[in-house]
Amino acid sequence: MLEMIKELCTLPGISGRENAVRDYIIDKIKDYAEYSIDPLGNLLVFKKGKNSAKNKVMLDAHMDEVGLIITAITSEGFLRFAKVGGIDSRVMLGRPVRVGEKAINGVIGIKPVHLVEKSQEADIPKADDLYIDIGAKSKEEAAEYVRLGDAAWFDSDFVEFGDGFIKAKALDDRAGCAILIELIRSELEYDTWFSFSVQEEIGTRGAQTSAFTIAPDYAIVVETTTAADISGVKDEQRVCICGEGGAVSFMDRRTVYSRELFDKAFEVAKEKNILCQPKTLVAGGNDAGAIHKSRGGVKTLTVSVPCRYLHSPGCVIKYADAVESMKLIGALAEEFAKW
Amino acid sequence: MNKFAEVSVLLEKLCSAKGVSGAENGAADVAAELLGRYMPVKIDTLGSVTGTTGEGDVHILLDAHLDQIGLIVTAVDETGFLKVAKCGGADIRVLAAAEVTVHGKKDVFGVITSTPPHLSKPEDSSKAKGFDEIAVDIGMKREDAIKIVSPGDRITFNGGFSKLLGNRVASPSIDDRAGVAAILRCLEMLEGKELNCRLSVMFSVQEETGGSGAQTGAFSAAADEAIAVDVSFAAAPGISGEKYASLGGGTMTGYAPSLDYEMSRRLSDIAEKKNIPAQPEVMGGKTGTNCDEIQISGRGVKTALLSIPLRNMHTAVEVCDLEDIENTAKLMAEYILERGGANA
Repeated sequence: MLEMIKELCTLPGISGRENAVRDYIIDKIKDYAEYSIDPLGNLLVFKKGKNSAKNKVMLDAHMDEVGLIITAITSEGFLRFAKVGGIDSRVMLGRPVRVGEKAINGVIGIKPVHLVEKSQEADIPKADDLYIDIGAKSKEEAAEYVRLGDAAWFDSDFVEFGDGFIKAKALDDRAGCAILIELIRSELEYDTWFSFSVQEEIGTRGAQTSAFTIAPDYAIVVETTTAADISGVKDEQRVCICGEGGAVSFMDRRTVYSRELFDKAFEVAKEKNILCQPKTLVAGGNDAGAIHKSRGGVKTLTVSVPCRYLHSPGCVIKYADAVESMKLIGALAEEFAKW
Repeated sequence: MNKFAEVSVLLEKLCSAKGVSGAENGAADVAAELLGRYMPVKIDTLGSVTGTTGEGDVHILLDAHLDQIGLIVTAVDETGFLKVAKCGGADIRVLAAAEVTVHGKKDVFGVITSTPPHLSKPEDSSKAKGFDEIAVDIGMKREDAIKIVSPGDRITFNGGFSKLLGNRVASPSIDDRAGVAAILRCLEMLEGKELNCRLSVMFSVQEETGGSGAQTGAFSAAADEAIAVDVSFAAAPGISGEKYASLGGGTMTGYAPSLDYEMSRRLSDIAEKKNIPAQPEVMGGKTGTNCDEIQISGRGVKTALLSIPLRNMHTAVEVCDLEDIENTAKLMAEYILERGGANA
């Protein structure tokens, strides 16, 4: 699974441009399950289990990542952009990016600190003032390589470091995609449905239609979530902790989760000796927000791999947490199928 | 691009070497090897790479600084994260989520901490965090971290050497490896030319922390004239093209009360005569470069400044145009031939 996480994270796929990620996933699962692509681009997968399921269970992970979309080319050949998904400008300044279909190199420029007044040294430029420099000398030269509406994404490699940690862009939610692929490629006890969803980062749009089409009884959203277990942050403010397994949500900004399912997660984890932890802060939101309200309602749970520096070019997870999360999700899918 | 292949290879080699102020060894090794092709090389007391060749009436010193900005470890905290401070003028606005290498007992990868948008208030995102609020995450517990990392270890910003359109490149530490590259290219251009002067080169340490390397190196060289090569500001959105240089517009010939006016003029005149693209850079007092130290070293040195236009100075994506480096080298070579050539 590590190799798949690496390959998935390296692929570009901002919201609405998930093609490369979808193609990769299809290649990995086509011999193991049936699949279709819906009008929005969601990849819907049905995996036959050893038994038919009493309840229809859907596992969801989103394929898209946060990034940028080119909105204008200036007369000097610089590119203006809009953010796609929630990115703090502070993690973008002075970063390398790739742009457009030719994936050309660019950098997000910043006025040298020497030219900034002392009192403004910590001021972050307004989002509208940010630009990408691709080295073009003119608007015409830039236009040979870039079209308005082109995607741009962080140029960030995959690194293993420290005590079992990995760093990459787009771990949110390619880690989830890798977990789902791994499950599809394994032998499952019950028939199971999967949604590799598009456009989560701009408001969980893909999951809304995939949940409608699949019409599950239960859903497990497989995500990454903020781990703020960093220097200077204490107790519950850490949200979840790298190395303590998948984080199970009781509530976030989009969903109040079924208490029954939340409790079941910990019960199953204990029984099977799987590491897991509660997500200790009501923050963020994910595809569960769309899925639990689908049709007449879906009992929904979220299990997330703790991820530091979410939505930055350098997301960090502990690989062991992805493995523990996968075990828990696999076990819960079985439970829900026969519940 | 072929035209600039040599300077591209040279700059990439220099930029991938590491050398934060006061710990320039990595960069010094590479620079010393490259300089050694042209003259005998010595490392001076503070660590600057120096060399001298030739004899003649005039003694010309070429300088570029070897060090790059970075961070320095101040402590390993109880959670294994590293507390850090600036070493040189690092820009705090580009630190969040930056990837770094900690040069401890061995090199280790790290990420500078940042708060994800889900947990920060919208108003927070308009201010960069100070050093008291950030740390470097090396993915280790304290007991493991302290075996490798100690206070005083230097940290460099990661970032490859990437090619942009045309002859433009992005990399960390182009400030001032571009200057080092320009001097090496100048020496290459002078190969086989008969010189009637003494030529010294110094790749000086600790410019980013105040110029100690240049001050001491220039004293030892005791040259008559010096040209320092550094980088300076190129125009970009929000940075006026009237006031600052044009990237790719040629080497910037410095004019300042602290620079020798005759040398500055001579450089501009040679550029015009030899059709070498150049643009003046005018400053009102000191220059903020090694020139400030070189000028007043020993009994005093006539000093000139050539600057290579640069965008995003002091970030991991400094951008320059290879053509500007090559033109800087050409102008320096022509200057040396005019002042200290066989017919000078």
